[in-house]
Amino acid sequence: MKKVITGDHAVAIGAKLCRVDVVPAYPITPQTLIIEHIADFVNDGELDTKFLTMESEHSVMSAAAAASAAGARVFTATSSQGLAFMHEMLYATAPLRLPVVMANASRTLGGPPGIWCEYNDSMGARDSGWLQLYVEDNQEALDMIIQSFRIAEDKRVLLPVMPCLDGFVLTHTVEPVEIPTQEEVDSFLGPYEPDIILDPARPAMIGTFMPAEYIMELRRQTVAAFDSAKDVIREVNSEFSKKFGRDYGGLVDTYRMDDAKVALITMGTVTSTSREVVDDLRQKGEKVGIIKLRFFRPFPSEDLRKLVSNLDALGVFDRSISYHGGGPVYNEVRSALFGMKMPVINHFAGLGGRDVTEDQIFKMFELTSRAAKGEKVKEVNWHNTRGETV
Amino acid sequence: MFEVRFHGRGGQGAVMAAQTLAEAAVNEGNYAVAFPFFGAERRGAPVLAFTRIDEKKIYSKTQVYAPDCVVVLDDSLLDTIDVVSGLKPNGTVIINSKEKPDDIDLGVSVRTASVNATSIALEILKAPITNTAILGAFAKATGIIRIESLEASIKQKFGEKLGEKVGERNAFAARTAYEKTIIGTSRSVKKLEAKKQWLPKYQDYPIGAALIEGKTEAGLIGPGSFIENKVSGWATYRPLRDKEKCTMCLLCWFYCPEGTIIRISDRGDLMTNYDYCKGCGVCANECPVDAIKMVRARA
Amino acid sequence: MITIKELSDDNLFTAGHTACPGCGVAMSIRNAIRVLGKDTAVYVPASCAVVFGTTFPYGAWKVPFFHTAFENTGACLTGMQAAFEKKGKKVTVVGFAGDGGTYDIGLQSMSGAAERNEDIIYICLDNEAYMNTGIQRSGGTPFGAWTTTTPVGSNIQGNQRFKKNLGDIVVAHEIPYYATLSIGHPLDFIRKVEKAKNMKGFRFLHMFTPCIPGWKMDPAKTVEVTKRAVESGMWTLYEVENGEKKVTYKPGKMKSVKDYLNMQGRFRHMSDEDINKLQMWVCRKWNLHYHEKGAPDICEVAPPVEHHAITEEHREMHGP
Repeated sequence: MKKVITGDHAVAIGAKLCRVDVVPAYPITPQTLIIEHIADFVNDGELDTKFLTMESEHSVMSAAAAASAAGARVFTATSSQGLAFMHEMLYATAPLRLPVVMANASRTLGGPPGIWCEYNDSMGARDSGWLQLYVEDNQEALDMIIQSFRIAEDKRVLLPVMPCLDGFVLTHTVEPVEIPTQEEVDSFLGPYEPDIILDPARPAMIGTFMPAEYIMELRRQTVAAFDSAKDVIREVNSEFSKKFGRDYGGLVDTYRMDDAKVALITMGTVTSTSREVVDDLRQKGEKVGIIKLRFFRPFPSEDLRKLVSNLDALGVFDRSISYHGGGPVYNEVRSALFGMKMPVINHFAGLGGRDVTEDQIFKMFELTSRAAKGEKVKEVNWHNTRGETV
Repeated sequence: MFEVRFHGRGGQGAVMAAQTLAEAAVNEGNYAVAFPFFGAERRGAPVLAFTRIDEKKIYSKTQVYAPDCVVVLDDSLLDTIDVVSGLKPNGTVIINSKEKPDDIDLGVSVRTASVNATSIALEILKAPITNTAILGAFAKATGIIRIESLEASIKQKFGEKLGEKVGERNAFAARTAYEKTIIGTSRSVKKLEAKKQWLPKYQDYPIGAALIEGKTEAGLIGPGSFIENKVSGWATYRPLRDKEKCTMCLLCWFYCPEGTIIRISDRGDLMTNYDYCKGCGVCANECPVDAIKMVRARA
Repeated sequence: MITIKELSDDNLFTAGHTACPGCGVAMSIRNAIRVLGKDTAVYVPASCAVVFGTTFPYGAWKVPFFHTAFENTGACLTGMQAAFEKKGKKVTVVGFAGDGGTYDIGLQSMSGAAERNEDIIYICLDNEAYMNTGIQRSGGTPFGAWTTTTPVGSNIQGNQRFKKNLGDIVVAHEIPYYATLSIGHPLDFIRKVEKAKNMKGFRFLHMFTPCIPGWKMDPAKTVEVTKRAVESGMWTLYEVENGEKKVTYKPGKMKSVKDYLNMQGRFRHMSDEDINKLQMWVCRKWNLHYHEKGAPDICEVAPPVEHHAITEEHREMHGP
């Protein structure tokens, strides 16, 4: 069934189709529509879930972790300051291996405060042990909620997953979305059946005080789960594509990369706009393509090295900064490509929700192409920023 | 460089002893550092502290693994901890004990000094805090520091914190111990067994470190496994119950924070499992018919 | 009602834990869990009880144990309870938080759970300071008490504020049950835990739990000091059931706070003037709880002017 709905609505429907047991919630723009839709589902009897109206995001993630530890499938959503407020609890959830799924409506993290799209909220959580992915449209938003639960609950992974969708650009934009049937989703995603949970019938201790002679192995174990997650993400993608007919490529997706000489690494909705730009440039005969970075954690280093091996130059789009020069994606990419000789050019755009236009993306390709030809190009470029020239 | 490892129990002042020694060494013109092993110790639990002394600046920030001297503030620790672990071949062990060094069994034959610091502390300080007395023994046995320097540092450090009188009394405790310290050689009869510890590889960890009841080669793990932890060494005193006086009111059983008092004989009698008694004395204090007396835990 | 004799022999919080000798928290946990029984799941926020109750791979709890952080007891209990309910399991969900974790950093999370009337038991183990970090002042620290952040200095001696009235804050949420407990009053203690266990909704058990190193006292006196706290009025035993307040134990005659203070090193420095201030605070509390004046020789002095009394100035600013 096709529906014309917002990204937030698509996420809510995704959670509903996953038959989530517990949803602790706290409102924050632009995530609010997600929890409002879920509240509607619950109050209309369409969804049998424990919907908890918590008093803060810190309590949301606390309740989420606790419910997950007690054996429930848990979903929630947040954004920006809310994600920052629950930061402490992100670090509790992941190493305890509690497969919570939380949508993040990407929004600038103040101050000064703003409500529009920027990735500095989720980038701050990149080392918390959560898997992190960015979607490009509302269909992918819905589909990735379903895939996220499959990935999170896989026994080889058992880690929380944070699908991020661009604030307003997706959360509040309607577009057609194919809604899978409950039967289809049920056959793709079985019930959550964890091994060890809080249960008086078989008492467990979870989150014990841990001396130094034990904690390093726990960290190492979590890294192993991240490694396994790469395979699981690819497997789940291919199974999903067989069942639902939509293939997202796994950790990364590509567009017109077959004979590309210059490529741009994009995330989120900028990927979508970039497709139009690439089509235009291709018509003009330029061999350009897009690498859509879907998962930022685990970071697809091996995939990237393969994809860029025939390029003359690579551009990297960043929607948040690290204050020391390059953006977090740029630094991660540079590290993944260490030893490869091609120029890698960083492009900042869209901070604080400033619209990332086709003109800006053309400029990103132009600068990267000039670098490909051996011209001197600045390593870090601020697009559409007063006082900066690109 | 001279490295010292202190073994004590939470509340005995091992850390303060390590720091006082460092201060005294610095006052003699040396460089010294002192630091605790940063655990989460409760009162009575085994603790570690370290002092390093050298003529030049010390850069090492690691724990001490091969000490020149080991100081044991509580000889009950000898039952559970291999205090001589890593001790240099010509090293010295200093023990708070009423035994003579030659009667103390450390499992190896090493230069050993002993002094009854507990009785000195009880007599002079009116409390079983042995950290200053044992420093007196350290000065005597090692010669690394002069007793006068120690006395000065103790007066300064304890005086600052607890008042001049307390400082002086502690310095006197150190001097008294200095004079009473006996030096000899320990016995090597007992077999030192490394404490068994479950240390799995990361591949064998329970996911997310969530534990259910389990048994490993090193003993129980998971819920209820703290019974592996015998805490009788914490106790200075232990309760003795007069069965004739006891009315089986069960207040001691109710109040015992440890669960050492157990109902037996189809609940008609009580038994105390001293493995878990920390000697707090609540049972004796609360017994309505005075049927419980506290006696010294180790004769 | 269960008597001491009828209490279970099950050690659901086993021996070998690493609490200090004479620990009031360990004593209270052991007996609370004896009454609550094995169909219980507990959350313990950051506190001594996390450390002395579990140190990987060991644990004293024989019921499910969960811990993540400090300020989230109300929220974690909410999540656990929601999961159990969704899965159709009947489990008594219980939190054991300290005074810092309840009066201060955990107040918001506790308030949320209370306001939503979550079906959980929240136990506050009140030892009147942050003991796990080495005795720092909390909102539960009494007037005059020494802590490491309210030291006895040459200018200022001890804690300058009176203990926060947490009971009224909790009760204001209109919850089914709030009770204060003392380990020194076993039958009252058992009855209240049992009563909470058999009720539904948000139940709050406020336990007075002496801390030996924090209060600087003899470990044998844990129970005795709680009895003296109650006899002097420093701690009052009452319960509020569906809005109805009932005093569950009233001392025969009010005793001077000195009887209580003298047992503890943390009050040793207090001047007569400060002791009198504290005594007046207790007198007011005594009047409030027992609806009568305390001992005439102690409470004769007129209570200080009510802090919140409406003054002329107040009327001008805010209206009558």
